[in-house]
Parts: sequence; structure tokens; C-alpha cells
Amino acid sequence: MEIVVSREELVAELALLQGIVERRATIPVLSHLLFQAEGERLSLAATDLDVSLSTGCGAEVLRPGQLAVQAKKFTEIVRALGADEVRLTLAEGNNLAIESGRSRFRIRGLEAESFPTLPKVESSSELEFPLATLRQMIGKVLFAISSEESRFQLNGALFKATDSTLELVATDGYRLARVETDFSGAGAEGLAQGVLVPRKALQEILRFSGEEPVRFRRNEHHLSFRIGDRELISRILEGTFPDYERVIARDHEKKPVLSREALQLAVRRVSLLSGERARGVLLRFEADLLTISAANPDLGEAEEQVVCRYDGEPVQIGLNPDYIGHFLGAIESNEVRLELKDAESQCVGFPIEDPEGEAGDRYLCVIMPMHV
Amino acid sequence: MARIQLLPDHLVSQIAAGEVVERPASVVKELVENSLDAGAREIAVELEVGGKRRIRISDDGSGMGKEDALLAFDQHATSKIRDFEDLQRVATLGFRGEALASIAAVARVELLTAEAPGEGWRVRIEGSRVRSVEPASRARGTTLEIASLFFNVPARRKFLKQPRTELRRCVEVVQGYCLACPDITFRLSHEGRSIIDATATSADGEGLRERIRQLFGDQLADALVELPAGGAAGESIRGFVGKRETAKGRRLFIFVNGRLIRDRQVLATYYRAVRDEWKHDEYPSLFLFLGVPPEDLDVNVHPQKSEVRFRDASFVHRVSRVLREGLVSARGEEAAPLREAWGAAERPLAWSGLGAVSEPSIHETAAAFDTRDAGADAQSGVWDWRRDGRQKIAEAAYDRASPSEVPLSRGSRDRAVRILGQYKGAILLLETPQGLLLMDQHAAHERVLYEKLARAMEAEEPKVQRLLVPQLLELSPSERLQLDSLVESLQPMGLQLERLSGGDLALVGVPAVLSDQQALSLVLELAASEEQSTDPAALKRQILESVAADRACKAAIKIHHALPMAQMEQLVASLFACDDPYSCPHGRPTLLEMSDAELERRFGRR
Repeated sequence: MEIVVSREELVAELALLQGIVERRATIPVLSHLLFQAEGERLSLAATDLDVSLSTGCGAEVLRPGQLAVQAKKFTEIVRALGADEVRLTLAEGNNLAIESGRSRFRIRGLEAESFPTLPKVESSSELEFPLATLRQMIGKVLFAISSEESRFQLNGALFKATDSTLELVATDGYRLARVETDFSGAGAEGLAQGVLVPRKALQEILRFSGEEPVRFRRNEHHLSFRIGDRELISRILEGTFPDYERVIARDHEKKPVLSREALQLAVRRVSLLSGERARGVLLRFEADLLTISAANPDLGEAEEQVVCRYDGEPVQIGLNPDYIGHFLGAIESNEVRLELKDAESQCVGFPIEDPEGEAGDRYLCVIMPMHV
Repeated sequence: MARIQLLPDHLVSQIAAGEVVERPASVVKELVENSLDAGAREIAVELEVGGKRRIRISDDGSGMGKEDALLAFDQHATSKIRDFEDLQRVATLGFRGEALASIAAVARVELLTAEAPGEGWRVRIEGSRVRSVEPASRARGTTLEIASLFFNVPARRKFLKQPRTELRRCVEVVQGYCLACPDITFRLSHEGRSIIDATATSADGEGLRERIRQLFGDQLADALVELPAGGAAGESIRGFVGKRETAKGRRLFIFVNGRLIRDRQVLATYYRAVRDEWKHDEYPSLFLFLGVPPEDLDVNVHPQKSEVRFRDASFVHRVSRVLREGLVSARGEEAAPLREAWGAAERPLAWSGLGAVSEPSIHETAAAFDTRDAGADAQSGVWDWRRDGRQKIAEAAYDRASPSEVPLSRGSRDRAVRILGQYKGAILLLETPQGLLLMDQHAAHERVLYEKLARAMEAEEPKVQRLLVPQLLELSPSERLQLDSLVESLQPMGLQLERLSGGDLALVGVPAVLSDQQALSLVLELAASEEQSTDPAALKRQILESVAADRACKAAIKIHHALPMAQMEQLVASLFACDDPYSCPHGRPTLLEMSDAELERRFGRR
């Protein structure tokens, strides 16, 4: 293998591949990237066996060939290089020579054959949606994905599509975020039941940019997201996602409306005294006034009042301030509406996109109460 | 009159009975074993008042004729051993020949048995005395009814626990045989309520998995990996080991030749295998079935046969190999974490030179600088903090020439302690009027943090996080009984359990200091632990302590960490202010004392 590539193009692809390479890989080859030079192109691939990315960039291929190269070192080297072009040459003993300007490196690689074969997702039907829409949806639910490894079925988000909507839902057992958007595309039958997409695949999609649409396919075990020449393949998380439609309360009658920013800042301030071991703040709604308070026997007490629009019975609820913060941080609307029943029942939060419209109902975040 | 008298016969048998029959569960154990030995395919156990009032076991085994039925109650009567040769290869479960006789000595027993339909006999025995023998009808098999256990031994009766506890022990026994014999149907009911209903599956691996499913639920059954076949000729090593997610609760079951045992040697082998293969010490579930030729096994170590001795020492190695292989596949596709070729064994106190003292934090560096001769550096004008800082830290830690005196007192315990210094960044040396004290700094700090945390957590009203979706707990029958009795006591601690129909329990709220998975582990552990207190105060302390101990250990200063004098003083003072300064929360000592007398003796001055 001997090729010449543009350093800038290479660095852009390496940044995407970094997200896939397992940092604590126990199988040595998984900390490597697969290089394949052929035709006019250098193909690059990374996998952690669950999520894989194959991508590439144009190259002047003097001699085709392939090799697995240590991802972290290679990326560091290419980033540090000064010149615009990089020459990569496969030397004997699976070594890779990197030459650029006056710098010369030689790094050890592994045989390309030891790199796992990436799954192929063949399917007759394909969906297409804008990348920006998908990224926006992911940003709204990512925080609610459980990081508790033993609850593997919650280590991802449920991705669902019908002929007219796309839906993404995530929960960690304490809160749940759900976002829905209009979508006009036929052939969504494969997603009517929904599939569980691992967190890592969602995070990787957030790294992508550009105007190209996402072309989506699935088979029994894998999902494929194609964006231009790049293909992200993810194993489908197995397991049963909770029956979330049944869990979300729809009949709460206490619906205070308040400024998103004012609430966010006040909660952040009050939560400074909400305790280190178990964080909880108390929200008390009375006529047009919200009082947020926290008390901690070791530290002291804090209280702040926020104006709101509310004319129902007084109600109070204890909530984890981090959960409120994550919800408010995921949306951009000026105002939010909280729907409450009592201290024992869930709080459901909505952004208010437009005071007249119903558009805000397309996103909601359920937060379970805490006895404070 | 002679002071020494021969004990009357009935007293001798009552005393002997105590060895075998301790509580209802031991009766159940003996009788289930007898049923199994009689070739039963179906065994039903019915209990009243935890087995204290009545235990009824019926089977469809071979049954007995009249002569055997009477002989069965004689001391050391057994159908299984005739001479010493036989004792060497005891293959059946009950063998000591004392079971029935012992039970008959301390209860009212009714035996109904038939070798063939219509040829049955009913024998009534009370406190070893045969009351009646009469023909009776019954299908092939045996029914034994044991009523009023220990009716004639009040001392024993007093030691029985609450019916709930005795019931749980009986359930545990039957559960054990359920696992050992998946191809036999077991039923257990208490006062008409069915607790175990396990229909026969098959004796192979899949049958066993089905049996585990019947008892423990789908979650556990689906998370088990079958052990690879192993063992030399004539031996068998089989069973299941759990995947990572089963490392909750204590579901470790070891059977040797069909007998549930608590063998420390095998358990230790398992623990070591998990630590080596998985690099952590949360132990996944284990269902291990060992079979060895009867002559290679000494089961007569313990009257309740709960411990065994293997004659072939290399057998345990073979068990270990199978366990390791099983653990590797249970861990999943991920390859084994690579072990360092020359993995340095952790030797906490090994000398590694002053240079190896851990990098000081900014705070400590500053403290260390305070002790140096400020003038010297000011003159040189150049300040190489790395070189200089390290040297000074070393000096601060090891070359302190001016020990300070800390008079300490707590309650009536006045203590005068002088800090001599720190040994290898790990141990504080203290001089007391009585001798020399060595203080483990990590253990001491752990104790200090732990008491502080536990006090703070106890004072706090627990915050409870409600769960979005109740977590259904998959419990075995005995675990369910135990946890059900704890529901009310756990409520004030923020562990909110809800009783569902059919006796199931679900977790609906967890203390906010724990994650739901931690809370789940805690609940499962409480359900499985053997001696569980139901007193709310004791439970609360137990939970707080398990949380606090874990946190304290993580936050405590480590060894190989040089401490400036001010910090040593603070640590010593806070340790002696603790309620229990002598051990860390895990039970290791914080202090070792070498008294003056001991020192003098060793130096030959005494």
C-alpha cells in the first residue's frame, strides 16, 4: 500500500472514527483502524463490535493494500503534522510509514485480516430523513439514557417511525424523555414496533454534520445509518423497553407555566444546598408564584421565588434538580409548562413553542418525584 | 447414694436426637432424603405453624412392610449400611440410621406406608414408644406426619424461632432438593397456601434450567451459562454460572452427590475464580453440582452432612478449571482482560523507597513547605518546585525531629499520645504511656469518615426517589417469604416495596442516595441473607452502614501518602473521638499495640 492523502480530509474522518474506537479495548485489534486503499480512495473503518463506522477519503493510490493501524497514535501523529499532504506506505512486517513534509514516522500495525468483518445491512426498503432533524431529536433524549450497565435495555433510546411521524424515547427509570416529529416517508413498517439504538450510536450521529440526508436501513440484528459515503452500523439493543405510553400521565390538572431561563437559574442556585449524597429540591406552586427550596442538615437552607402563571390549588413536589436541569437544557423555548398532580405523582414538563399552538406537545419529559 | 447414674434410655435418645433434629427444617431434610432414597417421583410437604405444629411428607416411593416400618424407628436402624465396608461407599442421602428414631424420640409420629396398594400399615409412635400398629390402606408410598415437635423437650422448643423463620428454613431445604433433583416433582404448602410447586422437568442441563426458572423466575434462568463438562473419570462437575447481572443477592448453591452443602473449600475456589477471571468481587449466581465416587468423599464430618471432605485433593483443581471456563463464557464475547505477564502482586506495605511516595496534593505541598527553612530558598532565588517539593515532602514525612504531643480525651478514656512519625507513608507511630501504637492511616481515616457519614445519614430524613416503572423482583420462594416480612420495616428507610397479587413484590421507590440498581442489590441481599433482623432500627443501621462503609472506603486517604504533622494530629484526634476507634468499618484493625512489657521482654530486659 502506498498512498497520498490530504491531511485535512484525513483529520476530519479520524475525528469521527475516534468516537467508535474502544478506549479500554481488551481485544487489541479493536483499538485499531482498518485502512484499505483501492481505486481513488482510502477506506477507513473502526468497530467496537457493537457499533462500527466505515468512512473514507479521496486518495492518490500508488499501490493498493490494507493494514490495521493503532487508532490513537495514528490520529495524534496526523493531527500534529505540519504539511498539507501525507504519504502512507505499508512497509514490511506490518509497519506503516507516515511521511509528511520533513517528518517521518514508522508505526507498528496489525494484519488487516485480524480486523473483524463489519456486518452488512441489506434491506429492500430504506428510509430517508434530514440529519438536522435526527440530531435535534437525539439531543432532546440523550440525557435520559441510563448509564447503569446492568440495565442494558435502557442503555439506548427507542427509535420508532410511522408513515407520518418519527419518535425517539429514552428513560433511566427515574425520568423519561420523548420527542416526536413529522415525517413523510413511506416504508417505515420495519420501525413501527421501534428498535433500541445504543447510546454510542446516537452520540456518534451527533458528531456528523453536513447537508446530506440520513439513509436508514435495518435487518434483524443491525441498523445502518448512511450519511454520504459514511456508514454507521449499530447492533440493535436487545431487551424490552418499558411500556412508556402507559406510564406517562395525561390527566394532571395543575399546569403552571413559567419562564424556562428563570426556572433553570433558580433551580441551579437553590440546588447548591440540596445536599451531596441525595440531591433534592422542593417546588411549591401557589397562585402565580413558585417557591423553590432546599435544606440540608450539614449545610443550611436555600429558597428562591419565581413568578409563574398558575391559578390552581397549591401543590408541591420534590424533584432532583439535575433532572430539571437536563430537561430545561435540552429545549430552547422561552416558556415551559409543568403538569402536576401531587407530591407522589410524576411531573411532566413541556416546552411551549408557541402560546397558541400545540407544537410543544411533541416533546415531553417525565420526572419522577422525590420525597424530600 | 452414688452421684453418677446411668441415664435412662429415653433421655439418651432425646440427647442423640438433638444432634440430628434441631428444628423443623432438619426433620424436613431427613424425611425428604428418605423419600428420595425410596425412589419417590413426587414428594409433597405440608406444614403448619412453620412446621412446629405439624409436618406431613408424602411420597410415592417404595414404601415399607410391617417389619421394616417398626424397625425404622430403632436407633441406628437403616436399610443402607450393613457393615463398615458399606459405610465407605455411602451413595444414598440418609445413612446414619438415626433419623427416624431421633425424630420419633422428640415428637408424635404417624407413619402410613404401603409397598403395594392395599398392603399398608399405620404405625403411631410418641416419644419413642409405639402406641399402635394397624393395617391401613394407601397407594404405594409413605406418608409421615410429625406433630408437636419437641413436645417432650421444652428446652429445645424454646429455642425454636418464630413460625415465619422456621417456615423459611424448611422452604430453603426443599428448594435445595428441588435443584438437586429436577426430575422429581416437589410441592410445599403452608397451612393450605402453596409455596413451592415444581413439576418434574428432566435431569439434564435444560431440565435444571427449567427448574431454576420455576423457583427463581425468568430473569435469572435466562442469565445463566452452563458450565462446560469437566472432571476425571467417575466424577462429574456440572451446573450453571450467572452472567454479570446476577451478581446480586447471594444465590450460591453447591451440591455434592445430590446434597446441598456449604463447603468453604469449594466456595473459596469459586470466589478466587471470580476475582481472577472477572477482576472484581461481586459474585454471580452459582448452581454447582459435583459428583464423586462415594468412596472418595467423607460426608461423615458433620451430623447434618453440610460439610464434606474430598479424598482426592486435585478434584478441587478440576472444579476450579471448570468454573473458570464457565466464568469466561458467562462474561460474554469480550475477550479476557489481558493479564500483565508479571503482574505485580499488591503488597500494600512493600518498601518502594521514598521516591514512590504519592504525588502530594497542592494543599499538602503547601503544608510541607511551611516546615522547611524558608531562608535557604529565598537566598538561592531559584525555585525548582518539583525537585524541591519532593525532597521536602520526604523530609516532612520521615525526618521530623520534633514530635508533637496531642493530649486526647474522650469520655472517661483519657489518652496521652505523642506522634513519633509516619512509617513508609502508611502507618502512624504513636507513643503512649503503656507502649507503642501502630495506626493504619487508611483504616483509621475510614473509621472516622464512616462514623461521620453514618451519623449524618441517620439524622437526615431519607429522600426517596420514586421509580417510573415499578421493578418487579424475581425471588425464590424462601426469599419472597423473608422480604415480605420486611416490607413495613424497609419503608421508613426509603426502600419502598409494593405487594402485588400472587405474593409478588415490586420496588417502587429507592433511597435517593442509592441508584436503583444499588437499591435492588441491597433488597435482594436482604432477601437472601440468612440471619436477617426485622427490627426497623437494626435494619436501618445495617443499610446505612453498608452505604456509609462503601463511601468511607473510597474517600479515605490511601497508603503511600505522606501526611504533614498537622494532618496526622487531626487524624489521631478524630480517631480517638470515634465510638469504636479500634477497627475500620470492614472489621480490620486500625490500631496495633506493642506494650512496654512486650518490648522489654523481646529485648531480654525481663
